[in-house]
Amino acid sequence: MDPAPLADAGVLDAGSGALPARGARPSHLRALIPFLALLALAVVLPLTDNDYYALIATRAAIYWVLISGLNLIVGFAGQLAIGYVALFALGAYTASVLAAGTVLPPAPVVLALAGGTAMGAASGVIVGLPALRLRTFYFAMTTLGFATIVTQVALGWQSVTGGGVGVAGPSLPAPFDTAWGLYYLCLGIAVLCTWMTANIARSRFGRALVATREAEVAAEAAGISKPALLVSVFLFAGAVAGLAGGLFASLQTYITPDAFTFDLSLLFFIAVLIGGRGSILGPLLGTIILTMLPEVAAPLAAWSTFVYAILVLVIVLAIPGGIAALLDFRSRRPLPRDRAILPHLGALGELLNADRAPVALALRGVALGFGGVRAIDGLDLDVSSGQVHGLIGPNGSGKTTTLNVISGYYAPQEGTLTAGAATLPSRMPSSRARHGIARTFQTPRIIGEATVLQNVMVGGTTIGQASFAEALLSLPRQLRDERRIEATARLALDAVGLGALADVRADRLQHSELRFVEIARALMLRPAFLLLDEPAAGLSPDEIKRLGALIRAISRRGVGVLLVEHHADLIFEICDEVTVLNLGRVLAHGTPAEIRAHKEVVSAYLGA
Amino acid sequence: MNVTRREILAGSAALAGTSAAGLPRPAIAANEPIRIGWLTTLTGPGSAPGIGFNRGVEFAAGAINAAGGVKGRMIEVVTRDTQGDPTKCVNATQELISQQKVHAIWGPTNSGESLAVTAIMARAKMPNIHPCVVDTLIDPAKFPNAFRIAPSNGQWDEAARKYCLNVLKAKKVAVFGDTTGYGVTAANACAAGFKQEGAEAVVVANIDATQPDMTPDMLRARNAGAEAIVLWTVSTGMIARLLNTRAAMGWDVPFTGHPALASGDVAGLITKPANWEKVYAVGYRSCSFDATGALPPRSQELVDRLAGKVNLSDSLLWWVACGVDAVNLVARAVEATGETSSAAIIGHWNALDPYPGYFGDYRFTKERHNGYPEDGIVMSAANTAKSGSFALAPGYG
Amino acid sequence: MLASIVASGLAMGAVYALIGITYNTMFATSRVMSFTAGMLGMLGGVLGSLFMLRWGLPILVSLPLTLLACALVGVVTEFVAVRPVLKSLDQHLYVLSTLAVALMIQQVTAIEWSTEPRPFPSLLPMGSGMWDEKYWLPVIACAVTVAGLEYLYRRTLVGRAFLAVAEDNFAAKALGLPERNLRVASYAMAGAIGALAGFSGGQLLLAFFANGPLLNFYGFIPVALGGLGNNRGAVIGGLALGLFQQAANFTFGGIFASVAVFVLFIAVLLAAPQGLFGTATARRV
Repeated sequence: MDPAPLADAGVLDAGSGALPARGARPSHLRALIPFLALLALAVVLPLTDNDYYALIATRAAIYWVLISGLNLIVGFAGQLAIGYVALFALGAYTASVLAAGTVLPPAPVVLALAGGTAMGAASGVIVGLPALRLRTFYFAMTTLGFATIVTQVALGWQSVTGGGVGVAGPSLPAPFDTAWGLYYLCLGIAVLCTWMTANIARSRFGRALVATREAEVAAEAAGISKPALLVSVFLFAGAVAGLAGGLFASLQTYITPDAFTFDLSLLFFIAVLIGGRGSILGPLLGTIILTMLPEVAAPLAAWSTFVYAILVLVIVLAIPGGIAALLDFRSRRPLPRDRAILPHLGALGELLNADRAPVALALRGVALGFGGVRAIDGLDLDVSSGQVHGLIGPNGSGKTTTLNVISGYYAPQEGTLTAGAATLPSRMPSSRARHGIARTFQTPRIIGEATVLQNVMVGGTTIGQASFAEALLSLPRQLRDERRIEATARLALDAVGLGALADVRADRLQHSELRFVEIARALMLRPAFLLLDEPAAGLSPDEIKRLGALIRAISRRGVGVLLVEHHADLIFEICDEVTVLNLGRVLAHGTPAEIRAHKEVVSAYLGA
Repeated sequence: MNVTRREILAGSAALAGTSAAGLPRPAIAANEPIRIGWLTTLTGPGSAPGIGFNRGVEFAAGAINAAGGVKGRMIEVVTRDTQGDPTKCVNATQELISQQKVHAIWGPTNSGESLAVTAIMARAKMPNIHPCVVDTLIDPAKFPNAFRIAPSNGQWDEAARKYCLNVLKAKKVAVFGDTTGYGVTAANACAAGFKQEGAEAVVVANIDATQPDMTPDMLRARNAGAEAIVLWTVSTGMIARLLNTRAAMGWDVPFTGHPALASGDVAGLITKPANWEKVYAVGYRSCSFDATGALPPRSQELVDRLAGKVNLSDSLLWWVACGVDAVNLVARAVEATGETSSAAIIGHWNALDPYPGYFGDYRFTKERHNGYPEDGIVMSAANTAKSGSFALAPGYG
Repeated sequence: MLASIVASGLAMGAVYALIGITYNTMFATSRVMSFTAGMLGMLGGVLGSLFMLRWGLPILVSLPLTLLACALVGVVTEFVAVRPVLKSLDQHLYVLSTLAVALMIQQVTAIEWSTEPRPFPSLLPMGSGMWDEKYWLPVIACAVTVAGLEYLYRRTLVGRAFLAVAEDNFAAKALGLPERNLRVASYAMAGAIGALAGFSGGQLLLAFFANGPLLNFYGFIPVALGGLGNNRGAVIGGLALGLFQQAANFTFGGIFASVAVFVLFIAVLLAAPQGLFGTATARRV
């Protein structure tokens, strides 16, 4: 338990002294400037007193209300929802039909718009459901199909929707019944939506969305439940799409099914793409550009779809980051070349308090086969608090499979899996975080376009207590969550020695640094057990040394570490016990000294 | 958005039925051009009518301007291609009103768009003429600025229904529409009309125009004992498939319905020319020739004037004639009142009872803005196109 | 009546199945689902009509020309929309790049060809009524394609190389197979198969630019039902879809028939995401 010997070895910075200096934190104010500039422009627009400008600007605001929600789905979660015009149409029809009173008695406009919003939210979940089970292309196809069906139903259900003749849109009461009145209303709602999506983007939910897109397995290991998360987002995006639809119906004064074209759906989708994934300013600019494009590029009218297609292709092939990436000047500044990873024991101590009840992770008779091959075959394994347990063996001996069974990616066909008194459910990777089981991956699963800090904060998703709705409105509990998660993440980064790189985009880091980022992310859970999958691969000898010391220090803080590794030196240096696997079975088990002397191990593995 | 500005000089004598008399005009507007906004679909699916109307518009504006304009004022047509998209149409309408400051708007030429912009034009009190068929588009109380110079859907429907009942003597009909907004509405209205007159619509169906094989629908119609088929669609592919299916089934049921039944595109799509027999499309007396092959005299005059300037072979005479009439109606209102204010133009149109246009004799009053004469609508034999006009169907004297 | 539904159902089903095979053929070597599959079918009809009716070429010249042109479109797709995004397959950028290429193909066809359906000529004037060639040509084309692919995959060296790449393209590369060339070849082959679908179904579908998205959707359903990469599944799924669709057209009529098809599609997918004949997904970690 005494860190001193390690510190003496000059490997770890054990002092409680000054932490490495951090770069200036990005000013929230600076990020706000473009939004405020746009808002200022929008507010003075009525001075032109040109109803045509009012119309186009109102249209852009309405589209943005929808796109702000769609952005969370496409830009953040990476779900390719191409047919969002369906929800727009549903909202428009619901609001219009309620206001017109063809089904129920005519409702006041506010209620009608609320009805459209509710309909959008409900349908958003229904449209989204396939995304929880289906692969990307399938989801894209089903949203497209849904878009077709909605217009077909609008046509067919003439008694309600007016069929092809359509229905009048809800007419708003004063002061929103003039061109500029409606404009201010839509602008206000657009500002509100911008604020709400920005809140989500900055919250653990926003980070979790990006994580499910870029590093799904890592997100699951961090305890993020994709279905629950996506359902919340589909609900929100559906609601704003429905509201946008209702406003659109008011703006159009009259809606028919042919107003909801595939081109409109493409516009929504492409605005997000042009804007850039994971950004809010980008898609907002994208929306404004795409709404104005047909007005200024008139001669291209016949080729508009072609122009959209070219835009998509250029973005995908040349600037996958979209406008947001073009505007990201910060990430072009060079990083210091001679930086080193210097784990900091004081921070580790602050992060992990040693005094917790010891528990044991136990595998008994676990077996799993793929086709005819037994990947693990009756495996017994124990990981105890405060110990480093090495798991070695030749390629294909079942090491990673064992980790995957423990983390719930595979269901064992036989045997049991317990952590303390609890039996771990099979096939539920996102449940592991709650049992205090954290892990890293053979290939680091990192969100390249997020900062190092944000990557680490993903690991702390389960720390948060505020609900999605609280995050949406940035209520006090949410702000408390954020402060706590961020503080913990900075501590974890300091602990692994990457504090100075917290605000750098993760894809600019070296491979070895990413391995330490993964450890920091895993530490966010303050885990009882830490599973490391070949953490030393690709590290320099110096870095391996620091890694070994870090792992040992982590274990001495009461964490049970299961270490899968090929570097025999590292294993023998830091492990308390070692299990050797061969062909899915335990070949040997014992202290490092015993293993080193084990004949079969030496001939089968170490001797090689 | 194709901005087509034409300033060609011409004399007002070129106007059909123009009177030389007029009120003294305000000096301020003396040389300002008369700006007519023109909303239509010139590209994309369903652009054939728009292209036809546009030929008439360009011809009429050119002819007036070549003759010196209207009291020295040139006609300037501001064209906007809306591609059949109501959203684009709303934007373009507002732009014509607020940016271009046009004096009158002709179009849009499709009902879905017209529904979306009617209220906007009414709010701006913009004089508007359009040829869109949906009945509710014309309502002098709600939209005192909007005038229709083509038949309404109800009028088309009535013509086709009367022909089925009185000439074809069919008491049981099958009514088909496509799955577009127009097709669904028209088919339902048509079926209701037959029911009202004591006949029976034994099958009412909307067929996806892209559906490759129409046999199931035709079989349903035959099994139900249909004696005539009434079809409401602009899809020539669907029309041809139905006609080919009829031939393949060896069934000789007559078809009546939408003017597109007579579209030149159908000719290429039917497997043999005989498949186009016994097909009667809604047509217009002004654009139909009688048994001797003669058009009505006024139409003949127009055809002579168009000769060599406007291609009628791949279009329809009524589209061109309607486009000519629309421009003339605006020009004539300005000429008669000497003003381009909304009130003057609308007031002038409200007193046209009748106005002898090429396409028909329009009758407008303050209460009646649906100006096309009932007796101007006839059925024509679909496969008889000759320079954009058709032979009257059997049964017309 | 039943016979007529069966005839047109099988004919449309065969076209859908061929488009499904087009999807599968591209998927096999690249793991990419391409939105161009339906566009190739549309082009098969449009080019066939262009060559035979507008240029007056005989069918024996037109068919190979059409297949060749679409094979070329397939190869271009591989170069423009597939190859550049293969390295980041897990980001699913191919959905966007192939969608973009598909939209371009459609828009160019709409403007350069026509937005109205154009006729497709009768190929071998024989058969009438239910035995009209337009009903059996697609079925024959589908049977020939499936038989040809089976022969290629089971009996020829090139075919086995395709299978090896489809099975595990890293291993195939390690074995020294020209993985990249095989991929280009499979895109060419997919182009030709798609073209054949459109060409053989030309009289049913007409030469019409809007057939692209239609075939994209209805050609995808057999793939989803039959399981990704499973050609036999695609044929069974395609024929079943064709029959179901025609029966639904007959019983419910246009609008509700397409709703019925869509609902069935979603229901099957949610119940069996791997398709009825598919296999489980690969390892994730």
